[in-house]
Amino acid sequence: MEKLANKIIVIVFIVFIFTINIFNILMPDKEFSESENRVLSQFPKFSMEKLTSGRFSNKFETYITDQFIFKDFWVGLKSDIERFSLKNENNGIYFGKDGYLLEDFTNSDEVLANNIKSINYFNKKLPDLTTYFLLAPNSVKIYEDKLPMFSEPYDQSKIIDRVKKNLNGEFIDVYDILKRKKDEYIYFKTDHHWTMRGAYYAYQMFCNNIGLKSFDFNKFDKEIVSNSFYGTFYSKANNRHIPADKIEIFKPKFNTSYKVHYLDEDKYTNTLYEFNHLDKKDKYSLFLDGNHSLITIKTDVKNNKKLVIFKDSYSHSFIPFLANHYKEIHIIDLRYYKLNIYDYIKENDIDEALFLYNVSTFSSDENLSWLRI
Amino acid sequence: MVFSSLVFLFNFLPITLLFYYISPDKYKNIILLIASLIFYAWGEPVYIFLMIFSSIVDYIHGLIIEKYRDSKKAKLAVISSIIINLGLLSFFKYYDFFILNINLMFNTSFNSLNLPLPIGISFYTFQTMSYTIDVYRKKAPIKKSPIALATYVTLFPQLIAGPIVRYQTIAKQINKRKVNIDKFAEGIKRFIIGLSKKVLLANNIGMLFSEIQNTNISELTVLTAWLGIIAFSFQIYFDFSGYSDMAIGLGKMFGFDFLENFNYPYISQSITEFWRRWHISLGTWFKDYVYIPLGGNRLGKRKTYINLFIVWLLTGFWHGASWNFIFWGLYFGILIAIEKAFLLKYLNKLYRPIRHIYVIFLLIIGWVLFVFEDISIGYNYLKVMFGFNQVKLYDLKFVYYLYSYMITFFILIIASTPFIKNKHKVILNKLKEKKGSYQYITVNSIYFILLFLSTAYLVDASYNPFLYFRF
Repeated sequence: MEKLANKIIVIVFIVFIFTINIFNILMPDKEFSESENRVLSQFPKFSMEKLTSGRFSNKFETYITDQFIFKDFWVGLKSDIERFSLKNENNGIYFGKDGYLLEDFTNSDEVLANNIKSINYFNKKLPDLTTYFLLAPNSVKIYEDKLPMFSEPYDQSKIIDRVKKNLNGEFIDVYDILKRKKDEYIYFKTDHHWTMRGAYYAYQMFCNNIGLKSFDFNKFDKEIVSNSFYGTFYSKANNRHIPADKIEIFKPKFNTSYKVHYLDEDKYTNTLYEFNHLDKKDKYSLFLDGNHSLITIKTDVKNNKKLVIFKDSYSHSFIPFLANHYKEIHIIDLRYYKLNIYDYIKENDIDEALFLYNVSTFSSDENLSWLRI
Repeated sequence: MVFSSLVFLFNFLPITLLFYYISPDKYKNIILLIASLIFYAWGEPVYIFLMIFSSIVDYIHGLIIEKYRDSKKAKLAVISSIIINLGLLSFFKYYDFFILNINLMFNTSFNSLNLPLPIGISFYTFQTMSYTIDVYRKKAPIKKSPIALATYVTLFPQLIAGPIVRYQTIAKQINKRKVNIDKFAEGIKRFIIGLSKKVLLANNIGMLFSEIQNTNISELTVLTAWLGIIAFSFQIYFDFSGYSDMAIGLGKMFGFDFLENFNYPYISQSITEFWRRWHISLGTWFKDYVYIPLGGNRLGKRKTYINLFIVWLLTGFWHGASWNFIFWGLYFGILIAIEKAFLLKYLNKLYRPIRHIYVIFLLIIGWVLFVFEDISIGYNYLKVMFGFNQVKLYDLKFVYYLYSYMITFFILIIASTPFIKNKHKVILNKLKEKKGSYQYITVNSIYFILLFLSTAYLVDASYNPFLYFRF
């Protein structure tokens, strides 16, 4: 029996490594991985120089691992074993209760201090401009009761309080309202963004603070445009048993008209939504077509108010509400816009500015230093 | 290339096995040599010349020793071979360290070289030295064929991280070796065990250690610091012994029998015993080629302690060109000297669990010296472990870590003892009595589960979602 058992071991092992080898060779190479959301490496071009420098082997290794057969299956299997062994975290994403994926948050003092300084600098440089600052907490704070046992990410309230205390200009605190509404679907479970519903409550708060009259909740038709959104947290956490998110949009029941200009691509549209993104992985990009360095929105609102927004992508689902209050909105993403913003503000005769960031970006993004020129 | 990679497991290994087993016996060494060179060249193509140079040098020295047997010239040849080998090692591994310290001491400003360290140089230079020394000592005959010698020097299973296979161990096997199904199966099992130790256990617990290591030292609590270094203790054992297991297993698949390199070191009851169970091939090497030639313990007490000092200084230094490794080596040298002088006698009378606690405690302190190359960081870490500067005993983070790694720790502890091995044996023996039992095969299927899971972890390690839509 021992002989037979040994024979089986040898045969199974050999068959296993050979079949995978052959499969890897025979299976056609993929260009793009949906679940990883990136272009996969292809068979590297050979040259003597590449070989001797070790770059060929390096690239070959990436090629093999990128194109490994049934990759999603293996990755899912690993994630399952990890969870089985009581690990409630993968790649910095917590597996929270009720299907919530929540991102671990760690504080970075230096970046935060710099960003506060940059905004204060901006404020001082343009005293005639009214500056608002809206800092959105992330789901890990709002849904802290869903965190796995014993986990303790850095408390975002401390960040919010610190920014509130040190920032000149009007600070719009949306934490309380979001916390109060947390039983509604105000953050995605598999993505790092808030939902349009979450953005709506923040918009209400914003209007209350600056003396605008917000449009009522029932002035909008709510429509589910996707049932199958798997966001960034899902991609990082690698667990296949998490249900998908829905995407809800708020359509005004009243008449609106927008002229949207994406200046980096010089593209004009008359809608705030780009529905073609719903066929792709990154469905959140349906709001204002994802990240652009500069977008302008001109509306038929009968006032002369012009607003500039410096923002991260939390603003994308928020701006559709604001668009019903301003004649012009200029949206600048400091991560991509590298021209002088002070010239821009002057040239366009802008009288209000809004900074809209989520806590996680605001304490890690170093591009706000572009304000200090 | 490393064993625990997809390219090795699913490209290199099947192709090498195929060519090795379809070629006739007389070409097997050549196949193995080519495979080994490819294996080595994979990461650092340039250093392959270093290895070829090393092989040629030792081949020629071997011939000289043989020709001038028992004369002064043979002795000179051995010395020359040692100088060349140590010269290579010093140049690539220690040059920058010496320059740095000379600059510090004499305020000079010699430039350092910043050369990448040739992979496995500490291992293979020790092996090549053993060739000329063993030949000189008539422990084994020379290799007349340069191919055969190069096969020994470059042999890929033990090339990169040991075990350090002395020439005398496999001198005969290089020329003639036999594989049958049973030995091959044995090799596969051993390889899978090593792979699992590395991929499933060491990498996993290593994540905990690196997380704690990356925590700002002022935010650590006493128990978190202990948990971190215990995690490292497991990581280094399962990493290193896993690698040795894979090497031994691969050796068997190609018909070699290497000596064991680890023997459950964490169950030792004295530090002396630990070093008989940990990285055995290195200890044996130093004993055979340094300690005993120096006179060992035959030249009186004083000389014995001096010899111990030299051996442990070198052992520490062998692990890396940095002061912390030297201290780490001397730390063990002192402990072993103390045990030798009087402590062992008393230890043996103690209650057994106390002996274990004594060993584990000193080993853990040793790993702190080992893991922090910057001695001041290691010192501060120790201070946290012993509660200096009013650090907290524990915090929620510690509880979270402990909870998350509870099962992993449990498996690690069990796997550090011979418990599973013994149980496995008992079960197999029982099955042997019952002839024709298919349960035998069921028991062995555990290896496939481990192989399967290891593959999943390897694939996952290469899975990196690109989150350009991060913002």
